[in-house]
Amino acid sequence: MKNLKQLLKPLALMLVAFMTIVSCSDKLEENDGQLSADDLDFTASEDMILPLIGAYSETYSRGWEDPLLIGVRGDDVNAGGVGDAQGGFTNADLYNYDNGYWMYNQVWENFYGDITDIVNSGETILKYKEFASGDYVNLADQYIAETKVLSGFQHLQMSRLWGDIFIITNSNVSTDIDNGVDTKEEVMLYVSELMDEAIPFLADMRPNERTDVPGGVTKYTALAIKALANLELENYQAVADITEEIISSNKFSLYPDFYELFKKPGKLSNESLFELQFSDYNTDTGSTNNHLYAPFGPSSWTPAVSTASGGWGFYEPSLKYIKFMIDRDDETRLVTSVCFTPRGIAEIMLDPSYSTLPSYISNVTPDGDVFNDYTRAMFASGKHYLPSNQLTPGRNDYGSSKNFNVIRYSEILLMYAEALTHGATGTIMTADQAVNIVRNRVGMDPISGVTTDDVMDEKFAELGMEWGIRYFDMIRLNKYDELSYEGRTFTAQDELLPYPQAQLDLLPLE
Amino acid sequence: MKLKLNFLFFFLLSISILAQDKTVTGIVTSAEDGLPLPNVNVIVKGTAKGTSTDFDGNYTITLSQGNILEFSYIGFKTKNVTITNNNVLNIALEVDAQSLEEVVVIGYGAQKKADVTGAITTIDSEDIQKTPNSNVMQSLQGKVAGVQVTSVGSPGDSPSIRIRGVNSYAAGGTPLFVVDGMFYDNIDFLDSSQIQSVSVLKDASSIAIFGRRGVNGVIIIETNGGKFEKKPEITYNGYTGIQHAQNVVKMANAEQFVTMAYESGSESDIQFVQNAIERFGRSRINPNVPNVNTDWYNEVLRDATITSHNIAINGGSESSSYGVNASYFSQDGILDMKNEYERFNIQSNLDFKVSDRLKIGVNSIFSNATKYNPENGAWFQAYFAVPILPVYDYANTGADPIPFSDATILGYRGSQNPFPQMTYNNNQLKIKKILASVYAEYDLVPDKLSFKTSYSHDYSTIAERNVRLPYFISQNSQRETSSIRRANLTYSTQYWDNTLTYKDNFGDHSFKLLAGSSYGDEQTNSFSATGNDVQGIDLESSWYLNFADPTSFASQVNEIGDRFYTLAYFGRLEYSLKDKYLLNATVRHEGDAKFPKKIWETTPAFGIGWVISKENFMQNSNVIDFLKLRASWGQLANGQLGGSAGTRTVSQLTTAIGDTQTNGIISSSNFTDLEREILEETNFGISARLFNSKLTLEADYFIRDTKKLVVPVDQAIVSNTLLVNAGEMRNQGLEIAANWSQPINDNWSFSVGGNIGTLDNKVTKINTDQGYYDTGSAEFRQRLMVGEPVNAFYGWEIDGVYQNEAQVAADPTAQYELTENNNQLVPGDFMYKDQNNDGKIDADDRVVLGSYLPDFTYGANMQVSYKNFDFSVAIAGQSGNEILNRKRGEVLFTNDTNIDADFAINRWHGEGTSNDYPSSEGRRKGWNQKMSSFFVENGSYFRVQNIQLAYTIPSKLVGGKNMPETKITFTADRPFTSFSYNGFSPEVANGVDRQTYPIPAVYTVGVNIKI
Repeated sequence: MKNLKQLLKPLALMLVAFMTIVSCSDKLEENDGQLSADDLDFTASEDMILPLIGAYSETYSRGWEDPLLIGVRGDDVNAGGVGDAQGGFTNADLYNYDNGYWMYNQVWENFYGDITDIVNSGETILKYKEFASGDYVNLADQYIAETKVLSGFQHLQMSRLWGDIFIITNSNVSTDIDNGVDTKEEVMLYVSELMDEAIPFLADMRPNERTDVPGGVTKYTALAIKALANLELENYQAVADITEEIISSNKFSLYPDFYELFKKPGKLSNESLFELQFSDYNTDTGSTNNHLYAPFGPSSWTPAVSTASGGWGFYEPSLKYIKFMIDRDDETRLVTSVCFTPRGIAEIMLDPSYSTLPSYISNVTPDGDVFNDYTRAMFASGKHYLPSNQLTPGRNDYGSSKNFNVIRYSEILLMYAEALTHGATGTIMTADQAVNIVRNRVGMDPISGVTTDDVMDEKFAELGMEWGIRYFDMIRLNKYDELSYEGRTFTAQDELLPYPQAQLDLLPLE
Repeated sequence: MKLKLNFLFFFLLSISILAQDKTVTGIVTSAEDGLPLPNVNVIVKGTAKGTSTDFDGNYTITLSQGNILEFSYIGFKTKNVTITNNNVLNIALEVDAQSLEEVVVIGYGAQKKADVTGAITTIDSEDIQKTPNSNVMQSLQGKVAGVQVTSVGSPGDSPSIRIRGVNSYAAGGTPLFVVDGMFYDNIDFLDSSQIQSVSVLKDASSIAIFGRRGVNGVIIIETNGGKFEKKPEITYNGYTGIQHAQNVVKMANAEQFVTMAYESGSESDIQFVQNAIERFGRSRINPNVPNVNTDWYNEVLRDATITSHNIAINGGSESSSYGVNASYFSQDGILDMKNEYERFNIQSNLDFKVSDRLKIGVNSIFSNATKYNPENGAWFQAYFAVPILPVYDYANTGADPIPFSDATILGYRGSQNPFPQMTYNNNQLKIKKILASVYAEYDLVPDKLSFKTSYSHDYSTIAERNVRLPYFISQNSQRETSSIRRANLTYSTQYWDNTLTYKDNFGDHSFKLLAGSSYGDEQTNSFSATGNDVQGIDLESSWYLNFADPTSFASQVNEIGDRFYTLAYFGRLEYSLKDKYLLNATVRHEGDAKFPKKIWETTPAFGIGWVISKENFMQNSNVIDFLKLRASWGQLANGQLGGSAGTRTVSQLTTAIGDTQTNGIISSSNFTDLEREILEETNFGISARLFNSKLTLEADYFIRDTKKLVVPVDQAIVSNTLLVNAGEMRNQGLEIAANWSQPINDNWSFSVGGNIGTLDNKVTKINTDQGYYDTGSAEFRQRLMVGEPVNAFYGWEIDGVYQNEAQVAADPTAQYELTENNNQLVPGDFMYKDQNNDGKIDADDRVVLGSYLPDFTYGANMQVSYKNFDFSVAIAGQSGNEILNRKRGEVLFTNDTNIDADFAINRWHGEGTSNDYPSSEGRRKGWNQKMSSFFVENGSYFRVQNIQLAYTIPSKLVGGKNMPETKITFTADRPFTSFSYNGFSPEVANGVDRQTYPIPAVYTVGVNIKI
């Protein structure tokens, strides 16, 4: 009995210990430090803009390799640094595709990563819509429509590069992947229809007229992407109709100063239908949201603002483009599109027909930045160059705070003109008129009786170095002879990039 | 009556002894071989007074009271001797067969070594103290069969430990450290001098009781505490020495580099050389070479010091014991920048017998370290920096404040010079760890039933301060504004363990039952903020965020954290029949919040043993003293993976909308929802002692399967990996350790030992139709595929180098390249093996090129003692592993940079010059940059691990004063390594070598004083 009493106290203690432990076990259900997507307050309708901004952020934050790989194959651009680093990039320019080269997979993942995130944002906004009332219901519809436009744009870019790709409609991608790839035609039709779905809900204004999301997509962005998809489909009447709808809105006009259009003053101009936005917020410190423009920059220069950083010299306007522009005496657009080095100028002059050059060809830009010789390239892209005197003091990164123009009104006019030359009918203006609006802005004399080739020349001059527009035009029209330049030979099998090896390893792709 | 008288006589005698303060001296020897026994505890029974024997077994003790001396020594029977008139008392202690079978520390208890059925290896504290290193684990290298230790060179960093191969792919390989009953993932706070014993628990049945954290093996460490009834002892341990970089990679010198630049045919590279000549002048020896020849590794390296001091006091009375110590360690890095580690520790272990039944105690360590992290990128840059670039370029007048050179001035893409990074970056970490535990143990039924509760808290903070000073070297190498990043990382791990132990004997049956619970709470938190444009940045005193531009904090403040709870119940039975037939069984039922899909998991384990030497038929063997066969099986549930969300999660981001920074959210498209990996292991072993226990032998064979193997799986189409229960993996191997020790005569004794552990790792199941998972990067592919080692290097096999045009023309694969891919191969290009003989080289020709896991690791040691001299040599090595030499492979990203001298010398430069290395031109071509056997090199090495000479000056009476025992040591740690790999060190934990902090050789002088 005494023993039992002695035991009682420790036993009681043990019992307390045991009870305490058992009561702790509900802690096992906790997941501290995470915010589950389902835990968002979907009744807070004013927050439904957050996933939309997320979708824009994904779209804007492009990898540096995206515009390079998209653009390099055109006859307007060469890879900088031939025989130097990034042989795979050079080889892409020469149409020798190596699907193990890292850039292919990177670009593939960049776009598809964005697409899944954008689709996901749309789904999140839909959840907000379930709890929304009044104007917020319409706003949710508009935001969802905007995510569709962003998704459509990225599908379009992907399919231009690889042709047959997966269409992603759900953030849980497994079903879409199991369905296999769709043909390029199916993808373009999908993009076109996706824009039709979106258009009724979108704002009927220019992107720069928006106050909630300045520079965000509007009805006209969707129409432009729809036009681009139909252009790929060679559905020229549709192209004419869609571009006519944009033109007839009378909302868009060409920015008067072509050179500044690509600089800070041209940010979100009345010409812009779609633009990737970046900023250092005009402060010398703090975080920025910038694009890495260094690949476009010169590896040696003497900038007017001496501390401004140069770049890598990866993206070189071609001699063919420069000579073409000199031949046309297309001064404004040449000076805007190309930055020259002394070596480059000497190289042009090696050709007897160009032994004397117009005085505007100089290695000093209109803003006084001096481009020096460097081995990687002879020229740099002017449309991706921000003058050093426009940099925010304290920010020396090449092109800091510069926006990335994507779809401009001049492209709409020229698409309209091209569609008409292919026999489509348009009522708002003639092909001549459309082309001449574009020419007029840069002081080029009007032309008449334009043919498809004339429009192509105009697009070459106007849109050179931008988003591979030239390349995709040439392969659409099977103008392989144009792409067989400066020692290259282009054949039909070179049109598309091969699927990245890393994706072949992961997917049921052939 | 006579008896009473006698008693009285003795009583009086003892009083007279007490009164006289008698001094007794003598020598203690082993009854078996008559050799003197050092360090035997001699105490006056019933008092706290005591001493211990010196190296030669001598002791001297002065008695003021009491008349019985107790002589105790591990492995021998304790002897009580009553003092007589004789002042000299020589004692021969008898071997205690029972206690010879020393006690092994196991989870939540201890077990007689003879009763162990799993695979447990114990390492001597002496072996640990031979290694001059901040981390205790470094000293295990080559000591334990089946344990692979990969050294690190960077001061204060922990070596990586791999026990029995890769058990978990995703959770890493760090074992669980149990220090004085407390659980840790990292023991960088522990000073080597304080180690009493280290036990490595290798097999699943031994680990089972620890559950979730023990999946990579458990290392139990006991630190020096006090002992009840032990006289106080003060010891000092210290050493100081220097570290010197070993096996420095020889890079191509300026002449070799320029030759290769010309051979490359690359106009730009030739131009860069010309630019260098223009800027820095021509070499007088070879006018085609610039007058610069920089050995970048030589520039960034330095010799560095290492120092350690420790002072400890321990002892105990009848009811209390204590051990307190303070230690100081400091080490400079061999990278020539602010790169060092300094640690100050105070530690105490206290135990009290409150009553006959209640014992309480406290262990605490406060560790205070400051570490300056190296700019590891410097190693990478030093490899690539061209030798025709000097460190300083005095013509670069625009540079501020130091005229460092910049390769972009010569035309190169990168600035290359590692010094700006090393000079203008400062990475301080203040690491403070408070580790405390308290326990209470109550005997409910004396010697039978006891209850123990213990609570431990491991609280660590790391305060990081990364300072970036502004500088200008060129437009392409500049930092416009200064910045300071502060990060506070806190880790808090608490455990509350309760155990109830019951032990009893019934005739031939003896058993011990343990039941327990363990409640855990693990929190981590990281808070960081970055500010720019710091006022007074030139002075360290203003390196505070307070002085940064307050507007610069936006979007530069982050906090992440998590907290997980765990709860486990466990039980264990230890049973033995006639000390011959052994059974151990464990079960653990464990709940873990990290696995929302399946919170609870139950894992069993058991082991059996048969002590053959106790059977009658073995009793008369002259050779075999002890022989035991062991077998065990067990399961472990791995809880070391990060928390699996089980749901999509949301993160914040910002973007520019109309030149306004605007925030938004993005939700993950995927989420992980894991189940725990289950490790299942079968172990067979033999333990034996032969030839009068001169030879000890341990051998184990294990087969270990990881089920529900968790792998980060590349997600299709997007750039994302997710942890998935993806398959199964098997590790199996044989471990043998043998040791022979023999005293030759009074002056000479020697011992020699060796161990070897083999490892065969392969993936046994993959849960997809594809049959593989890709890992590594796309350019340097690694793959998990059935039948191959985990993370095997995967690529093309080199079949040689094209020697001439005819060979290219005759090769169908080369012709295919030309016609299909427009790729004209030339002599000096690699010839790849067309594995499937389809006439073309494509993805289908890729094969496994090797594994980063060694086929076997080994170690050996030899010790000779002559009088007071001890000399020991240890070696270690591994064989059969491969290393991906990514330094060479990165030519893919930037190919105008330097290359190692081995490549430069052996490159193909004409027919017959090489069939292994491409030409300088070929090196720059994509064709030759594919992941191939060229970049995968043999990582085997052999190393002289440690050489030590020690001299002991025994405790002596000098001028009436007791001179303390002093030991002086001279140590060379890792003085020599032999390997063929083209890198600093063949010790690359994951086998991918992009930049490795070299492992220095360390030479030290040390002193050990005992009072």
